[in-house]
Amino acid sequence: MRWVSDILFRLRAIFARSAMERDLEDEFAFHLERETEKHIARGMDPDEAVRLARIGFGGEERFKEGARESWGVTALTDLGSDLRFAARQLLKNPAFSSLAALTLALGIGGTVALFSVVNGLMLRPLPFPEEDRVMSFWMDYNWRGEEFDLVKDVPESFESIAAYSSLGYTLRTEAGSTLVRTLVASVELWDVLGVAPSLGRTFLPGEDRPGAEEVVVLGHGIWQREFGGDPDVVGRRIRFDGVPHTVVGVMPEGFYFPTPEWDAYVPLDLDPADGAYANNGWLVLLGRLRPGASEAGIDRDLSAIAAVLDERYDYSTRWDKTRDPYVIPVREYLLGDVRPAILLLFATVGLLLLMSCVNVTALILTKTVDRTREMSVRAALGAGRARLARQVLTESILLGLVSGVLGMALATGLFDVLVASLPIDPAFRTSLGVDWITLLSALVLAVVAGSAIALAPIRNLLRGELSEGALTRRSGGNGLHAGRMQRALVVAEVLLAVVLVTGAALLVRTVEQLRALDPGLDPEGVMTVGVVVSEDETTEAERRVFFQRLLERTEALPGVTAAGYINRLPLRDGGYQGSVTIEGRPDLEGVNRPNAMYRPVSPGTFEALGVEVRQGRGIEPTDIAGSPLVAVVNETFARTVWGDENPIGRRYTTGFVGTVEVVGVVADVAVADLVGAQPMTGFYAWDQAQAGTGSGILLAKTTGLATSLAAPIRALVAELEPRAAVGGVQTMEEAMEGEMAEPLRLRFFLGLFSALGLVLGTVGVYGVVSYSVHRRRTEFGIRMALGAEPGTLLGTVIRQGMVPVVLGVVGGAAVALLASRTLSGFLFGVEPTDPLSLASAAGSLLAAGVAAALLPAWRASTTDPAVALRSD
Amino acid sequence: MPKPQDDMIRGTLDMLILRVLSLEPMHGWGISERIQQMSDAALQVNQGSLYASLHRLTRQGWVKSEWRVTQNNRRARYYILTRAGERQLGVESDQWAKLSDAVDRVMGLA
Repeated sequence: MRWVSDILFRLRAIFARSAMERDLEDEFAFHLERETEKHIARGMDPDEAVRLARIGFGGEERFKEGARESWGVTALTDLGSDLRFAARQLLKNPAFSSLAALTLALGIGGTVALFSVVNGLMLRPLPFPEEDRVMSFWMDYNWRGEEFDLVKDVPESFESIAAYSSLGYTLRTEAGSTLVRTLVASVELWDVLGVAPSLGRTFLPGEDRPGAEEVVVLGHGIWQREFGGDPDVVGRRIRFDGVPHTVVGVMPEGFYFPTPEWDAYVPLDLDPADGAYANNGWLVLLGRLRPGASEAGIDRDLSAIAAVLDERYDYSTRWDKTRDPYVIPVREYLLGDVRPAILLLFATVGLLLLMSCVNVTALILTKTVDRTREMSVRAALGAGRARLARQVLTESILLGLVSGVLGMALATGLFDVLVASLPIDPAFRTSLGVDWITLLSALVLAVVAGSAIALAPIRNLLRGELSEGALTRRSGGNGLHAGRMQRALVVAEVLLAVVLVTGAALLVRTVEQLRALDPGLDPEGVMTVGVVVSEDETTEAERRVFFQRLLERTEALPGVTAAGYINRLPLRDGGYQGSVTIEGRPDLEGVNRPNAMYRPVSPGTFEALGVEVRQGRGIEPTDIAGSPLVAVVNETFARTVWGDENPIGRRYTTGFVGTVEVVGVVADVAVADLVGAQPMTGFYAWDQAQAGTGSGILLAKTTGLATSLAAPIRALVAELEPRAAVGGVQTMEEAMEGEMAEPLRLRFFLGLFSALGLVLGTVGVYGVVSYSVHRRRTEFGIRMALGAEPGTLLGTVIRQGMVPVVLGVVGGAAVALLASRTLSGFLFGVEPTDPLSLASAAGSLLAAGVAAALLPAWRASTTDPAVALRSD
Repeated sequence: MPKPQDDMIRGTLDMLILRVLSLEPMHGWGISERIQQMSDAALQVNQGSLYASLHRLTRQGWVKSEWRVTQNNRRARYYILTRAGERQLGVESDQWAKLSDAVDRVMGLA
C-alpha cells in the first residue's frame, strides 16, 4: 500500500502546497528555537545563541528547497510556473498574441480540414471487404446484356463478374410516392461485393432471368425511413414502380453501393427475347479478382474478352470495344480522380501553415529581442540557459495549443466549404466529416508548430548575448544582427505569398475565360424540375394528359414567360445519342455513320432556354403525333453534314424517332459540356418522340427569381398526379455554375488563402520595419536635430523596408513560374506562365510592402528629437 | 565546537532516523539531538538536510507525522514510525550489519 501513501503525499504537495510550506516554516522555526534554548541553557548570551543556532542549521532557503525536492513534484511545479508565466506573457500583449494565434489557427485549421477530407475519401474503406480486389471494366461505351453474358465467364483471374445499372423508381407507400434510387443488377453483384444482408437474403440464381418473381433488396436507409425499421418487412409485397415486388432482404447499416444515395436493389431482367438485350448498351461491369491475381493474368483475360467480342461483333470504329480494354479499381471508378485537386489544396494549405509559422517566428523574434533585458536579468539571478530556453518553448507551445483549439473550431466550420470545393460526387459528401483522429492531428500539429516557432528565438538565446544586452544601453545602431534573421523571414514570407497569389490569379483568369464561353442559352430565371411517372401504373393516355396539363398549368403561373420539356438537362446530362442515316448520302453510311445527340423538346423549350433559331423554324405546336416527323438540328449538325448547302427540307433517319425532315437550325447549345466543341444534336418534337413516356424535365422561365417556381411546380405535380414523383429540382444557373464548379471553388479557396498570404506578408513587413524604426529612434532623433528633412527619413525607412520585399517578390516569381505547371490541369484558356497573373501577384505584394512600411516610416519622420534623445 | 559533519555515509541517515523513531515518536530537533547523544557525539547530523530525509521517508510511507504539543507547551511536528517503517528498519540494519562486517573483515578488524 506504500504507493497509495506516496500518491496521496504528492497530491498534497500539489494541491495543499501552501499548507505544506507553512508546516515547513513552522518546523524550521521550532528547530531553531530549541537549538537556541539549548545554547542559552549552556550559559550563552541570547544573541550569540541565535547566531550559533543559525550557523548550526545551515542555509535555510537551500534546505527548504531540498525538502521541497523530496516531495517529488518538482518537475510538475516547474512546468506549472512556466505555464503561468507564459500565460502572463501572452496576456500582457493581447494584440501580439491574438494576431499570432489567429495566424497559426488558420494554418492549422486549413490543414486539419483538408486532412479530414483525405482521411474520409482516400483512406476510409468502401463498405465492402477487400475493395482493392473489385475492379470496374472499361466503359467508354456501356455494355449490352448480350455482351455481358458473352464475356462474364471468360476471365480466369476473376471470381465473378456482375452487371448493373442505376435507375430511379417510384415507390408507393401510404404517404404517397417517393423517388427511390434503385440499382438493377445481375445476381452476381452480391458475390462481387461480398456483403451479406442483415435480414433475409439477396438475389437467387436465375432471378435476373425472364419469368422470375419480382424481388427487391432494401438498403438500410429506406428500410428505416419508409418501413420504420420493421424486421417483418421481409416477405412483404410492396408496390415498386407500380409493380408488386417481394422484399427478400435488407442490407446492413453503413452499406452502400455505388454511392450512399442508392437505396434499393432489384435484379436485372436479362431476356434474349427482348430487343434491348442485344441492342441497348446501358450496363456497367464489375468484377472481383481472385486472391493473388497477377497483372499478367488480368491482361490475358482482357485480351481473351476482346477476342470473344471481336469474333461475335463488327463494331463501328467509333465505339470499338475491343480497341482498348482495361480495368480500373472500383474506388477510382466511383470517386473519380480527386488526387490532383487534393494535392493542390494541400500544397496551398501547407504553404499557408509555413507562412503562419514564419510570421509568428518573426513576431516572436521581435519580442525576444525586446526581452533581452528581462532574460539577462533572469540569467544574472541564476536561471540557466536551458531553463530560459524551456520558458521560451513553453510560451510558444502554449501559443500553439491555443491556436490549435481555434484551428479545430475553424476546421469544423470550414469543412463544408472545403468539401464542396472538391470534385466529389455529392453522394459521398455526406459520408465525410471531422472526426477525433483529425482533431488529434490538430493537436499534434499545434505542438509541432509551437515548437517550430520557438527554434529561432532559442537559437538566439543559446548563442547568447545576454549579459551584453543587460549592461549596454540600447545603442543608436540599427541592430543588424537581430534584424538579419527577421529580414530573411520576411523574404521567405513574401516569396510564399507571391506563389499563392499567382495561383489565385491564374484561377480567376480561368473563370473569366469560362464565363466568356457562349453556352448558346440564357440561364437567367430558368427553373428545371425532373418529373417521373411509373409507366407500369399509368396508361400512355394518362401520361400524355398529365404532362400536357402540367405544362399548361406551369405556363399559367404568375411571372412565367415560357415553359417546355426536354429529356436531358442542358449543361448537365450527356448521353442519349445514336447514329443517324442521312438520305442521299451513301458516303455517310456503315462505319462512317455520324452520331447525334437525341433531344426531344416541346414548342416552348427553345424560348424558355433562350435558344436562337438561326434558320427555318423551331418546334411548333402543330408538330403533333400523326403530322409529318420534323427535326431541328444545331449548327454543327448542319455544317458537318451539309456544309454550305441549305439544310432545310433535308431528311435523315434516327433510331429514336424514324425518318425526319429538317425544318430549322438553332445555335449550338451546350447540351452536355460547356467546354469543348458541341456535338451534332437533333431536336425533335416532344409530341412525336417523347410524349407518352413516364419522364421529362420541365423547364420554366420566369421574370422573377427562378427558385420561386420550385414550390408551385411541386404543388402542381402533386395535385395533377399523385402517382408522379419530382426529382432533381435546380435552377439553370445552378446547372451552369455546376459546370464551372471546380475552377470556381478552387478559385474561392486559393483566393481566400492568397488573401491570407497577403495579410501575413503585410504583417511581417510591418513588424520588421516598425521594430527597426523603434530601435533607431535615437538615431532619427539626432538626424532630425541635425536638420534632416522628414521626407528624407520617410524615404530611407521605406526603401530599407522594401529590400526584403523586393527580394521575396523576385524569388517568388521564379518559384511561381516553376510551380504553376502543377495547376495546368485546372486552368482553361490561360497558360500556367501567364504574365498578367504573375505581374498582378508581384504588384500586389509590392503594394502591400509599401503600405506596411508606410506607417512606421511616417512615425520615424515625425520623431520629436527631444523625446527621442531623452528616452533610453 | 566540532564542525557539523556533512558527509555522513550516504543512506545511513535514513536508517539512523528510523532507528531513533523506533524508540518513540520524536520531532526533528529531538531526532538530531538523539543521534548525537546515542553516538556519543561522534555523529553530527546536518540539521537542514535532516528535513529533506524526513519528508522523503514520509512520502515513502515509512514514517508519518502529526503536530503535537510538547512538554513546554509548544507545537512541534512529531514523526512516528509506521509498520512499513519497522520492516524497512529491519531490512536496512541487516544490510548494514553485512556491510560493516565485510568492511571489518577487509580492514583486518574482525
